[in-house]
Order: sequence, then C-alpha cells, then structure tokens
Amino acid sequence: MFHSVKISKEACQGCVNCIRVCPTEAIRVVDGEISIIGELCIDCGECLRSCHRQALGIEEDDWNRIKESSRVTLIPDPVFFTQFSHYMNPALLEEVLTSLDFNVLIDELEEAFDLSAAATAQLLARTAPQSLPMISSYCPSVLRLIQSRFPELISRVTPILSPISLAADLWHMRTNSSAPITLLAPCSSKITMVREPQGRERSPIDSVVTVRRVARSIMASNVSTGSGEGRKERNNRWIEWARRGGETKHIKAFSEKKLTILSVSGMRNTIDVLQELELGRLRSVDFIECRTCDTGCVGGIGTADSRFLASLRLNNIKTDWEIKPKDLRRVEELYAMDFWSISKEYMPRPRLPLSDNVAEAMVKLQQMKEIYSGLPHIDCGSCGRPSCQAMAEEIVRGHGSVTDCIFKLREGIASLANKIVVLSESQPQTLKRKGGAN
Amino acid sequence: MSAPVCLEYRIEGNDFMVAGAASNNIKNTLKMIGISSEVCRRVAIITYEAEINLVIHAGGGVLKAEISEDSVLLIAQDEGPGIADIEKAMTEGYTTATDQAREMGFGAGMGLPNIKRNSDLFEIESTVGKGTTLKCTVFFHKQQ
Repeated sequence: MFHSVKISKEACQGCVNCIRVCPTEAIRVVDGEISIIGELCIDCGECLRSCHRQALGIEEDDWNRIKESSRVTLIPDPVFFTQFSHYMNPALLEEVLTSLDFNVLIDELEEAFDLSAAATAQLLARTAPQSLPMISSYCPSVLRLIQSRFPELISRVTPILSPISLAADLWHMRTNSSAPITLLAPCSSKITMVREPQGRERSPIDSVVTVRRVARSIMASNVSTGSGEGRKERNNRWIEWARRGGETKHIKAFSEKKLTILSVSGMRNTIDVLQELELGRLRSVDFIECRTCDTGCVGGIGTADSRFLASLRLNNIKTDWEIKPKDLRRVEELYAMDFWSISKEYMPRPRLPLSDNVAEAMVKLQQMKEIYSGLPHIDCGSCGRPSCQAMAEEIVRGHGSVTDCIFKLREGIASLANKIVVLSESQPQTLKRKGGAN
Repeated sequence: MSAPVCLEYRIEGNDFMVAGAASNNIKNTLKMIGISSEVCRRVAIITYEAEINLVIHAGGGVLKAEISEDSVLLIAQDEGPGIADIEKAMTEGYTTATDQAREMGFGAGMGLPNIKRNSDLFEIESTVGKGTTLKCTVFFHKQQ
C-alpha cells in the first residue's frame, strides 16, 4: 500500500507528539523509532504538523527533473492560485505559467469542476430523503477516514470521481495525447490519490509534486508579467474549491431545489460531523462538504503560504457564479458521457478483529479488559502507543508486554525493592548469634 | 461457549454533550471481535437512542451490554419517572420531552420506535414513580 507520508528514521527522536494526533491511531514508536501501520494510515498529514524535527515528510516526484522535460503538462490544484501575493489575478498566474512554456489545463479544470458540481446536484435531486445527506468525495483523506473509521457511511460518499482527475481524463480524450500530466497537490492526501486512486483502477495523472515546491520555484524565477488583459475570460468558480464552502456554492449554483449543506473543515470537525451523522443526528441535511484540513485545502500540509492569507486572497478573486446557457449545455453534454462516475466501488478498510473466531476473540477481549483496567488511563504515550486502550490491544495481539508501560514498570521495581528489603533482613542461621559479633 | 463480556456505563442526566460516548464504545468493542458492520450499526442506534432517553427523560441511569458469542443483550435501566402508557410511548412522534431537549433537536418521539425497529428481541418494563428497564437483543447472525 502506497503512502505519501514518509519517515526519516535518523531525524526521529522518539518523542510521541505524532502518535497522539493521528486520527486513526496508526503510529507507533517501537525500539525508539517511529513506524506507521500502513493499513490504518489515511495520509491526512496531521502527524507532519506535530513533528518538530522534520522526521516526517512528503513523498513527491522530483520537480527539477519534471520541469526540464520538453513539454510539461500541468494540473494545478485550485490552491495553487491562492499562493502568490504578486499574482493576485489568476489570469496573471496563467500568463506566467504559459510564458515558462508549461501547458496548463485550465479549460479542462473549469469544465471538470462544473461537471462535478452539476453531477452532485443531480445526484442530490434524485436521492431518497432517507439516504441523505450524501458526503463529498473531494477530499481523499475524508474518504479514507470513512473507509477505516466509519465504514457504515461508505454508501453515502458520492460516487463521483475527483474533478482534478476528470480534468486529466478530458484532456486525454480530446487530444489523444499520452504526454505525462503532473498534478500540483496541496497535501499528502492528493498525492496518494494519484498513486493509489479510489473509485477507479488507474489515475490519469502521471506524476505529482507539492504546491509548495512549484510555487517557490516560480517565485524564485521572478517572471515579469503583462497586465493579464486580453486573456480568455474565466469564471474562476473552480478556484473557490480551495477553501471550505467553495464546493457548496458551486453545487448550489447548479441545483434547482434549495439545498441544506454543511461545510466543515479541520480533522476534529470532520470526525465530529461524521460521528453525528452515524448516530442519525443530521436529519434534513442534504450534503456534507468536509475537508480534513482547517479552512479547507488552503490549509493543506504541502502549501507554500499561510492559509489565512490564501483565504483572504480568495476574497479578492473575481468569481462569476452565474451559470451561462453555454456552460450548462457543455456540462449536460459531459454529464451524458458518464465517464465521471466511479468504476470501482469504495471498499471498507476495517480493523482486523482480535481473532477470526468469535469465541477466541471474546477471550482476548476479556483479557484486554483486564489488562486495560490495570493501566493508568492517562494516555501518556510513553509506551509508544497512542492510548492505554491501544496498548492493551497490542498486548493481547502479541506485540509488547505490560512492562512497556513506565508506570507498571515502576510498580514492578517498587515491589521488587520491597522484596529485597525483606530478604536482606533475614540472615543465614550461621550468622544468627546474639550480639551480632562474630 | 466462552463467558459473556460485560460492559457497563453510568449515564448522567441532562448531560446532552457526552451522550453517544457509551454507544461508540460498545460499537468499537463489537468491531474488535469481528461483528459485521450492519449489526454494529444497529447496536449503535439502539444504544444511542437508549442513552438519549436516559439523559432526557430519566435523569440518568445505567447502560449495559452483555456480549456473548451469538448475540448482544443491551440493558438500559433507570430510576426515573417511568412511562405511564407504554403503547403510546411506542408511537412514532409521541413525546414528553422538555422544551430544552426539543430545542437541542432531541425528543422528536422517534426514540423507542427506532430502538424496537433495530432490535431482534425487545422488552420494556416500567412502573410510574419507580423507573424503566429496557432489554434488547441483537443476534450476530440471522435467526432461522
């Protein structure tokens, strides 16, 4: 299983900051070194934020090599357009990229995001009320979180492919070109989306680098621009997806009925909203847009600039929310082609049970309860596990022992010390003489 | 047959914000012994609704889950006001919840019907002034 979060073992000091922020409890520190349980990791990048020693990083392709190739075809994530203070207008940045001889698929992106929003609006219109709300499939980490922690909610994730990969599909269809496409991704999550896509066999995108890497390289090249005038008029709707609420606005623009949509960002909020949905609390809601990063994709771990500034810049980008008849015709044509829906079902990624046999699993469960009741319940992380519960579970699964807990170890030493005192007071018979002198 | 594993939670009255914790815990425990996701979902709904009932109506109580190899028995017990007319309480939309509870989106009169719908065996006993005991069983595999 591919993961875009990579570990540098030399840099890791064995502190346990990361293991406690991981939303799927995927990280362990064993023998002084961090390790990630591949089946559990959702590539959200939360652990990278908590690491002070750069022991965690992002696995990306080599931008220096890519940019030297003859004709580079780029799909920039919406976030890319929010990263530059001196190219406030997306048209200016488009001009810069073109002048650097990059082929940027903006036309395709505009169409693909329109298509995705329209397809979602259609889906919501024909879904029975008891199957609502549906959940956005845009954030790959949300999807993976649902697969592992909320498998009961998988049927609620929209069966619509990411507009980012749809843009690549459109370009392939139209040009018949097999030239490689590079995605500029704002996060580890979208890198994994390319390497190990959900809902389809293969990604139409070939390589992927972070927004940070490319934005810095462009800033350094310091290209001067014209005024951006005379370029094609853009509606910029798709760029709004960089921030929480953008997708929502886009879907509403295509919906005939009035929709109730929740837009949620940040890991904690995402988990809360999914939990509430699972408990059946969110009646009368039609759709949930959730992103694991705070403020939305501009808060991604692979961005170059502050999410606050990026969000501010989005306010200044002129966006046209009115769907023109020609946009609508174009979207309807694409919708009819049906290449936008998933071709492979989303599958749950449940945790392995304690045993394949229920009776055996119950015995282990009882053992686990007993071990857990003896632990201090302060989830300190010193044992290298995210919680006392996780520690108890690992012990019954056969990885580790109770003395991995420093409090249990201390108790053990204290009782041993007591025994030593008791033993030292009992003297051999030969030395037991009155007065103690030999 | 291995001995049943018992989980027990004390639910405080009127504490809306923590309702759901016990239900979540029971669900995760079932997943750990390899129970199907559909059964876990039903158990989560029953326990959550029962928890909410304890919070809203009973001023708190105890929620128990007795897990055996083929089923789980869920018991919600309280010493609250009791239910005067059980038949009426089982009707969808009937509620005696306070305005405060309803303002928070609870007390729509769906709790008990929802619990019954998701249970394989359902039993409720109540005495006005003494309290209510709810017993639900969910089988892990379809019964013949």
